[in-house]
Amino acid sequence: MLAEDSTLLREGLIRLLAEEGHEVLAGVGDAVSLLREVEARTPDVVVTDIRMPPTHTDEGLRAAVEIRERWPGVGVLVLSQHVERNYAAQLLTPNAERVGYLLKDRVAQVDEFLDSLERIHAGGAAIDPEIVRQLVIRTTHTDPLSRLTPRERTVIEALAQGHTNAAIAQKLHISLSAVEKNLNTIFDKLDLSRTTGYSRRVLAVLRYLES
Amino acid sequence: MDGAPPPSKPTARLLRATGVLLSCFTALLGLLYFILAGALLGAFLLWPRTRGRAHALLASGARRLTAIERARRSVFFRDRFPEHHASDQRVLRYLAARTYAGLLCGVVVGLLVFGVVLAGLLAAGVARSTLTWQELLTQVVLGGVLLFLDVQGLNSLAALDARLARECFGPSERELLERRIQELAASRAAVVRAVDAERRRVERDLHDGVQQRLVALAMLLGRARRGKTPEQSDALLEQAHRESREVLTELREVAWRVYPSALDNLGLQEALGGVRERCGIPMRIEYDVPEPLPAAIETAAYFVVSEAVTNAAKHASAADIFVSVKGHGTYLAVLVRDSGVGGADPAGSGLTGLHSRVAALDGRLDVHSPSGGPTTITAELPCA
Repeated sequence: MLAEDSTLLREGLIRLLAEEGHEVLAGVGDAVSLLREVEARTPDVVVTDIRMPPTHTDEGLRAAVEIRERWPGVGVLVLSQHVERNYAAQLLTPNAERVGYLLKDRVAQVDEFLDSLERIHAGGAAIDPEIVRQLVIRTTHTDPLSRLTPRERTVIEALAQGHTNAAIAQKLHISLSAVEKNLNTIFDKLDLSRTTGYSRRVLAVLRYLES
Repeated sequence: MDGAPPPSKPTARLLRATGVLLSCFTALLGLLYFILAGALLGAFLLWPRTRGRAHALLASGARRLTAIERARRSVFFRDRFPEHHASDQRVLRYLAARTYAGLLCGVVVGLLVFGVVLAGLLAAGVARSTLTWQELLTQVVLGGVLLFLDVQGLNSLAALDARLARECFGPSERELLERRIQELAASRAAVVRAVDAERRRVERDLHDGVQQRLVALAMLLGRARRGKTPEQSDALLEQAHRESREVLTELREVAWRVYPSALDNLGLQEALGGVRERCGIPMRIEYDVPEPLPAAIETAAYFVVSEAVTNAAKHASAADIFVSVKGHGTYLAVLVRDSGVGGADPAGSGLTGLHSRVAALDGRLDVHSPSGGPTTITAELPCA
């Protein structure tokens, strides 16, 4: 399901998704209709722009937060005009499952966009590499993140974007075991409890966004 | 603002003459007052213990007479004074000066009447031919000079009357300065607001127009690369090519809305021509500006026209627009009239921005837009 106020872009996205074999249940132009449609049809994933009528500020984001509260099973991918850390944090705080925050321009990189959609649908997260990069740049030396080696940083960046271990290994051209080793060091350095599985990964990402 | 329309020229002259004559009578009142008050209060004014009370009494009476003078100035000379209270000292000083000037005016008017009577006698003498032509010539020359002096005296006294009233009732130098400072502060704040509104509009233009198109274009190209068949890819590329041309057009439009570069290179007239080409409604331009204009004035005039034309096209559903830009030496008059439905809101963001822009140059902007139309927007921009 799509919410995007620019007709041109909305139509383009609908075509693109249809070509890739996804079914678009509805395309709307504002947050109110988006919530109405979600209530009526419960889609797998919602893609929404942040700035929409009437005020062109953060209608889409507020709708996305509401959807995450009311329908936790629905994946949400938010498209943002600029890197807004505050927005990202609002969206990802309760948990980072079935959620994505991409720069709007990212839809132009069709492969990445589709890949993010798939990840969100599968229960993962997709955070724009640009957002992650800016967050890394902003981290100060008082921050546990500053204790990470450059290699660990690239690994956590990939992790924050929502990639699986296998995908990280492929992306950075290192072995799967090296990725796992790196991740364990990172979790230690970030003082994350030895919880298992996804939540620990999510916590690492949240450390990022809150740092 | 004064609601009453200004009277026609002859009426105004008659009113002024009546005002001058009245001023002679009110001066008699003033004289009487001073004589009576002087007789009654004189002793108390000299005695230190009662001086304050007596002075206050004297001034309160003077204040009543001064109110009559003020009404006379407002009614017959259409003076407009701000609401403010002059000090006792000032009121007394005014009344004294005014009484003196008024009495003098009475004397001068009396001389005028006397001159008219003499002229009448002279005419009768000429009619009965009891005068030699040398005597007649002497009388005419003498009478002419005296008449001239008399009229001059009347003029000067009328001017003095106006000046005295302004000094007593009008705002003081300091008040004028304060008012000017308030004006400047307000217009400065408004200019900052207007600039911010412009920036917001530019951002909106870029974000909602150009950027969306570019993303759509990139998406088309992405789809073309992933195309399942060469035909499908070709079709998508074709679409992308079309879209790229539209992005360029949009970008040109946005840049032009931000600042029409023609204004710098080719001047106001050409830039207005550009507005006409873009507006899509028949538009007639009368341009009559003899001297080159300062750049700030040109820019303001351009934005007045372009904003008014945009509004006419967007909201008024106008069938045609008339624009006139005329140089009047000290100021430039800009007028935009459209045949649309009217009801323009002067408090809308566009018109408020224009107001600020014009006010910053000490100009005036008037919006006249009755429901049902036509809408007329006039601006006067000082060029000096």
